[in-house]
Amino acid sequence: MEHYVRSTLAILVLLLLQTTFIPFLSVGGFLPDVLLIWVVYIAVTRGQLEATITGFAVGLLQDAVTIQFFGLSTLTKTLAGFVAGYFFNENLTEQTLGSYRFLLITLLSSFVHNVLYYGIFLQGIQDALFTSMIEFSVAVSLYTALVSVFPMFTFVRKYRFSQSL
Amino acid sequence: MFKRIYNFVLLFKEYAVFSILLVLSLVLMALNDNTQIRHIRGVATVVFGVVQDQLAFVPRYFSLRKENDILRRMNVDLADEASQLREAKLENDRLRRLLGFKDVSHYPLLAAKVVGKNLTLLRNTITLNIGKLDGVLPHMPVVGDGGLVGVVANVNDHYAIVRILYNTDFRASTKSQRARVDGILAWDGEDLILTNVAKNLDIVAGDTLITTDYSSTYPPNIRIGTVSEVAEQQGSLFKRVLVTPGVDFVKLEEVFVISYIPDSERSELEQSLQQKLRR
Repeated sequence: MEHYVRSTLAILVLLLLQTTFIPFLSVGGFLPDVLLIWVVYIAVTRGQLEATITGFAVGLLQDAVTIQFFGLSTLTKTLAGFVAGYFFNENLTEQTLGSYRFLLITLLSSFVHNVLYYGIFLQGIQDALFTSMIEFSVAVSLYTALVSVFPMFTFVRKYRFSQSL
Repeated sequence: MFKRIYNFVLLFKEYAVFSILLVLSLVLMALNDNTQIRHIRGVATVVFGVVQDQLAFVPRYFSLRKENDILRRMNVDLADEASQLREAKLENDRLRRLLGFKDVSHYPLLAAKVVGKNLTLLRNTITLNIGKLDGVLPHMPVVGDGGLVGVVANVNDHYAIVRILYNTDFRASTKSQRARVDGILAWDGEDLILTNVAKNLDIVAGDTLITTDYSSTYPPNIRIGTVSEVAEQQGSLFKRVLVTPGVDFVKLEEVFVISYIPDSERSELEQSLQQKLRR
């Protein structure tokens, strides 16, 4: 129960960050997706089912806040959680979190998330749909993966500390 | 059974939950009415149409069977309707021709339908659907669109029997319209012939024959038919003149009875003379 309360609080804080602080980190109009990093974290630590549900809940909240295209983030984050959930291994949770594997999982999940997101979002409003979709997807995915380095380092330190005990 | 289903769902719970959430997300998205959704709907409609078109070759057995039944029933109805229309058109054509005759006739006419035919005997007749109550009397002439049909032989309240040209008892005073050559029209059981035409008289094939003023039964100038053949007879003073009637008795369906009553004064005079001669 405590886990779910903490998880909910974390989501709310990250949502606040995503909508207020993160826009200041915009590079060429592209923003990292910290909520997606959280979904990947849940996938690696709690498994596919929980990651899928978390993705759905996070996406729904994000849609409710942004009111840009209701249901789109819900769909893409559910898919991202489901994809990231394939990399769940309860015996290697800490190793995964504290290594480049976390970056790769984030990169892959983010790419899948963004391809779907921009694939739908740019429908009917962008002529060169495929090029723009790939361009946006790669840029945002790389940026998100780059930002996920910070939690990864935190987990590395935490993992080393637990190993030293 | 339920346990099996439960175990199965449990085994694939991630996929089940993912599918449900995916559907929910899509439903939420479909609630939008923005450019993207409109575009996706348009693309989906096109794709669906193409796929449906490609799968159209797969026979839909049950619907085809039902469709077949409906089409077969429609076919029968339409065939029946077409037959009725064709019949109505033919009847219309015939009646139009009869109306043409009616326009040029100077006598009152009673329209009748042919309800019976005898065309294989020596004394051939047709039966009409009008009788005494309609004003038909014996000896009234009957005409069709092609000309003279015959004469009323018997009549009761609702029906009349007509002695037609192809009857060995039938006689009609006839003349050629062109050369005014007279003769008596009769049927010998095989051919319709114009009798009493002397060898020196001018009559040729193709001449039109009409009724004369001599008859007490038929009004004058009713078309009878045409001369089809003129032959010389060895050892006879007369020509053998074959006649083709203007009426096709096989196809005859509608006729007019002419309300023609001969002049009684003339008839009485002729009859009294006959009686004197017999004495």
